[in-house]
Amino acid sequence: MLLIALLLIPISTAAASYFARRREEMERANLTGFGLTFLIAIALAAQVLAHGTVSLANGFFYADALSALVILLTALVALVCATYSIGYLRDDQESGELGEEVEEQIAQLRMYSTLTPLFVFSMMFVAVANNLGVMWAAIEATTLVSVFLVTFYGKVTSLEAAWKYAIIGGVGLSMALFGTLVTYYAGHRLAGSDALAGLNWSVLAQHAELLDKTSMRLAFVLILMGYGTKAGLAPMHTWKPDAYSEAPVPSAAILSSAMLNCALYGLIRFYILTSRSLGTEYPSHLLLLFGLLSMGISVPFILVQKNYRRLLAYHTIDHSGIMVTALGLGGPLGTLGLMLHMTFHTIAKSLLFLCAGNVRQHFKTDLFSEIKGSVIRVMPLTGVIFLMAMLAIIGTPPFSLFQSEFLIVRAAFDGGHLLTGVLFVLFGTGVFAGALLHVGGMILGPKGDMPVAPRRPWRDGSLLALVTVLVVIGFWVPAPLLELIRGAAKVVSGQ
Amino acid sequence: MLMKPFLDMQFGERIITLMAALVLVLQIAVVAQRWIVTHIRIFAIQSFLLAMIAATIAWFNHAPHIYVAAALTLVVKVILVPILFERLVVRMDIREEIKPIINVPLSVVISGGLTLLGYVVAESFYKPDEPGLGHNELAVAISLFLIGFFTMINRRKALTQVLALLSLENGLFLAAISLTYGMPLIVELGILFDVLVAAMVLGILVYRIRESFESMDVSLLRRLRG
Repeated sequence: MLLIALLLIPISTAAASYFARRREEMERANLTGFGLTFLIAIALAAQVLAHGTVSLANGFFYADALSALVILLTALVALVCATYSIGYLRDDQESGELGEEVEEQIAQLRMYSTLTPLFVFSMMFVAVANNLGVMWAAIEATTLVSVFLVTFYGKVTSLEAAWKYAIIGGVGLSMALFGTLVTYYAGHRLAGSDALAGLNWSVLAQHAELLDKTSMRLAFVLILMGYGTKAGLAPMHTWKPDAYSEAPVPSAAILSSAMLNCALYGLIRFYILTSRSLGTEYPSHLLLLFGLLSMGISVPFILVQKNYRRLLAYHTIDHSGIMVTALGLGGPLGTLGLMLHMTFHTIAKSLLFLCAGNVRQHFKTDLFSEIKGSVIRVMPLTGVIFLMAMLAIIGTPPFSLFQSEFLIVRAAFDGGHLLTGVLFVLFGTGVFAGALLHVGGMILGPKGDMPVAPRRPWRDGSLLALVTVLVVIGFWVPAPLLELIRGAAKVVSGQ
Repeated sequence: MLMKPFLDMQFGERIITLMAALVLVLQIAVVAQRWIVTHIRIFAIQSFLLAMIAATIAWFNHAPHIYVAAALTLVVKVILVPILFERLVVRMDIREEIKPIINVPLSVVISGGLTLLGYVVAESFYKPDEPGLGHNELAVAISLFLIGFFTMINRRKALTQVLALLSLENGLFLAAISLTYGMPLIVELGILFDVLVAAMVLGILVYRIRESFESMDVSLLRRLRG
């Protein structure tokens, strides 16, 4: 039941927003819808902790600890962004970013508040679909829905960003579909494969050692290229900075945290099948290669970056590289690092984008050089939170991401991947220097003559809520959440 | 007596191989020509042939669920998507593709090379002792995929790139029916729905790019860097 509700609520939210006439109705629909989704995600996590796995409709819907964790994180980000976007879009409406006419503005708001629940719906579908083909269709749907969120402001540059996003994503996903097809072929001699269950992950995972090995090799490469494109792994990452810097900030926050998780989720599902069929060595080499390449490529771009939203996008490329590296290291330690990192990164990265949105709306620029005066004096709350989230994301202790990155480095040295460990630390240092240099300068820079910005209840509230979560889980992860994370790691490593 | 050849498996396979060869010829024809309307029509004929291949397989293997996949392909890729794109072409008043990056004769030679590569890859999958179609269909499918990729790189008009992306998907459809007699029905449904929505989304994007840039040349899209 919970699994169905998880899909029905976002869909009804989208419908309610589509037929709403006034801004307040849309805001209320989104807030209620995402609030309910979040509650259900918690209930689902509780159920998974109690029973192990939940499935419905003959195994068409399926959730284990891994799905429950991804769902919980998606729901959290969606709720926070819905709250934030109320203030954000009101500001846009007042400043004329949404057009001059009232009707035009309402049409824009309607588009935003309809597409966002549909976006969340497709991400939830990714996490609860058992059939790998259906999961593919849901991942493709996340791209199709979010294309028009990227073109939201209708600028020439947003069209360019959306075009790159749709075409590169489309090519990548066609490779992923090929991989899914080859996986189906690899398992098509298993009993009962003619029926729908032939592509069900739970069935394939049980009989993984019977899968055709040659086919699985090819399938994994295709899947890695395909879902890797969606996750923004180098060298298929080029759409990412464009899409993230052109989309409205709450959408960018969802894209860079929740949608990244969904793409990685698809990759992880296939990793489990491949590693059970071929052993961990083959997938792990490929994953380490792409992971380290993504981390490495992001370093120079972060060091010379002039635009803070693009800086955050390159950070996401770096972190998707970190998570793929952790997956490649595997074992109980690597997978635990991966799941912790996914959790912490989701919170910190969405927080960063929301802070960037405040800065962007107040200073009307995306460039570091044009922000006159220090953010921390003009917008004290945003400035402090921005700095804290930045310190967290580059892995400074005592924040949470330090722990997960430390775990991953430990997994690298424990597993004898010396080179990986050394490169990981090296790239991490580069990112650390670059980010601190730019963002530190922006927030703590010389005093300007801008007056102190007024308070913004919706946005400040959502920032405060999220930063509280970030700080608290740095010191103390609640026992049920830790259990869920451990459960998800166990699903991946099998130990 | 008249019905006899239509029950013979080998005869069926020969028909299918013939149609797959035609599909490949059409894909190379796309590389060789420059008119966008022709490209759309070739895509429609190619999809029609694929639907026929699926229907033939359904007939000879008595697998009714493949008929559904064939019918859906017919509706989406032979009727809806081409109509949508032809309207777009009329509205935007575009006819000719700009000069491709690599000239036409060389492009055709490269496509030939990619077909060869397709055969080499398909060979490694082929297991003579297993049921399933011959390696010809799989080789054609992989070639479609590769030539589609090549077209995307080689052509700069936005609409041509969308059509090439859709022909990649055609290659996958052929691979699916030749490897495993098609994916489960619900998966086919999901894929075709996505194809339809993708065609619409990309069509709208192409239209808006044309309006803002006065051109569909995607090499003009280079403002976002670094």
